[in-house]
Amino acid sequence: MLNQIATIVADGVLLGLIYAIAGVGLSLVLGIMGIVNVAHSAFIMLGSFFAFELFRRLGVDPIISFFLAFPVFFAAGIVVYRLLITRVELAPQTQGLVAMFGLMVLLESIGTIAWTTDTRVITASYTNTATLIGPVVLANVKVIAGALALVLIVSLWAFLRFTLTGRAIRAMGQDRSAAMSVGVNVRQLSAIMFGLGIACAGSAGVALGMVFPFSPNTQILWLAWAFLVVILGGLGNVGNTLIAGLVVGLIQTGVAAFMPFDYVYLVLYVLLAVILVARREGLSRAVRRGI
Amino acid sequence: MTISAPRLQVTNVVAGYIPGHPILRGVNLKAEPGRITVILGPNGAGKSTLLKVISGFLPPESGTVHLADSDVSALPPHRHIEHGIAVLPQGRSVFPELSVIENIELGGWTMRSDRKRLREAVEAMLVRYPHLRPLRDRAAGSLSGGQQRAVEIARLLVPNPSVLLIDEPSVGLSPIVAHQVYQELVSLKDEGRTILLVDQDVRAAIGVADYVYVLNSGKNDVEGDRTAFEGDLGAMVRGWLGV
Repeated sequence: MLNQIATIVADGVLLGLIYAIAGVGLSLVLGIMGIVNVAHSAFIMLGSFFAFELFRRLGVDPIISFFLAFPVFFAAGIVVYRLLITRVELAPQTQGLVAMFGLMVLLESIGTIAWTTDTRVITASYTNTATLIGPVVLANVKVIAGALALVLIVSLWAFLRFTLTGRAIRAMGQDRSAAMSVGVNVRQLSAIMFGLGIACAGSAGVALGMVFPFSPNTQILWLAWAFLVVILGGLGNVGNTLIAGLVVGLIQTGVAAFMPFDYVYLVLYVLLAVILVARREGLSRAVRRGI
Repeated sequence: MTISAPRLQVTNVVAGYIPGHPILRGVNLKAEPGRITVILGPNGAGKSTLLKVISGFLPPESGTVHLADSDVSALPPHRHIEHGIAVLPQGRSVFPELSVIENIELGGWTMRSDRKRLREAVEAMLVRYPHLRPLRDRAAGSLSGGQQRAVEIARLLVPNPSVLLIDEPSVGLSPIVAHQVYQELVSLKDEGRTILLVDQDVRAAIGVADYVYVLNSGKNDVEGDRTAFEGDLGAMVRGWLGV
């Protein structure tokens, strides 16, 4: 029994790390820029296919794709910011939401045209192997994806916490006018922030694609998971997003070990409803824009 | 420390938030270096709007803002500090979740390519305001109103601006702290800076003013040096209130 619990916990932590990077970009863009980027999961889906195509066509290992995805999707995020977000960021939030919804539908449609709705998997050399650590059995692919997620989350946290640019991004989220007064070009930093959010989505897509089967349609499922993590963890807070991801991962593995899988969703969304009723700001009281 | 500051000149500025409905209707003023120029007026006179125009947050529909010979009317807000114009906005403007030292460091955002100079400038602020040193790692939002204002002023001064635009500096402060803030403005003036002060606290503002402009309904009303306004301030305010 203890061995089983240890395996459930380890598995839950690894899944939680992956869910955390699925949510962290969404959380930061929403918390710092106030943009409800419902297209976030479409970029996660594109990240999975990015790794899939690099692996299928060029034999590039998904671990390398994880790091390649970051600059590629960062650049894509900058382009989206310049072409789309600049036109809606100061408009009422519903207008931005509609624009992002349109982008999500567009990207999913492009995904369906390019890859159909067939489910794909990335089968790397370590995909179907496991490691025994004492009594705990761990799927290697989850260990690798979880470690990559942890590296990304810690790097993002350190960037926002310790660099002057990161602090300026946080400052912009707290008082945009005051940030402008000290000389911060908020348009430029917003582009960087949005690019970082999309870069996180792209890399998250690679990590998710390593572990789970995917198709263009699965992005809707990931959007629900990402929002679950964000609502649970609060806005713009890397640390709380990580904790929320871990909670979701542990609940998923814990519930799935003792009950049919369908109960996972029931338990998670009941938990979410309870949190929203009890503490409307998620796990942390000081959620907005803390890092 | 003496600073060679430029004159700030506003000429025939018309500006507002809705096209065709200007708040400012042809305002003119000059703020000279080494002096505190105060803008007074009743609510809705356009005082804060004028500061927004000068600081680039509200582009004028017509008219110009010159700093010495440079036209800064069309500069976006984040470019003003490059020209030595710094703004202390109305109300709290610290970044509440950043620490005191992070707030002050961000004041030197435009100096970020020269980290040594930035570090020295931040240290100079901790020397100038030693009471902030023990608070350096505290979240700025957790400080008292007076401490937050000190953080804002320290952050303002990191890039050593020559022109200071100050909007309602005493709002929400205790009388003692407000008095300290006004005394600090006098010190900053004595360093040679050009200071433009917008204030509702007529008595305190005139107490530190070298020259006073009164706006009414978005236009210049009366102006003069401090002595011209030191008489019956109550009558002036009652006039604004229409009582």
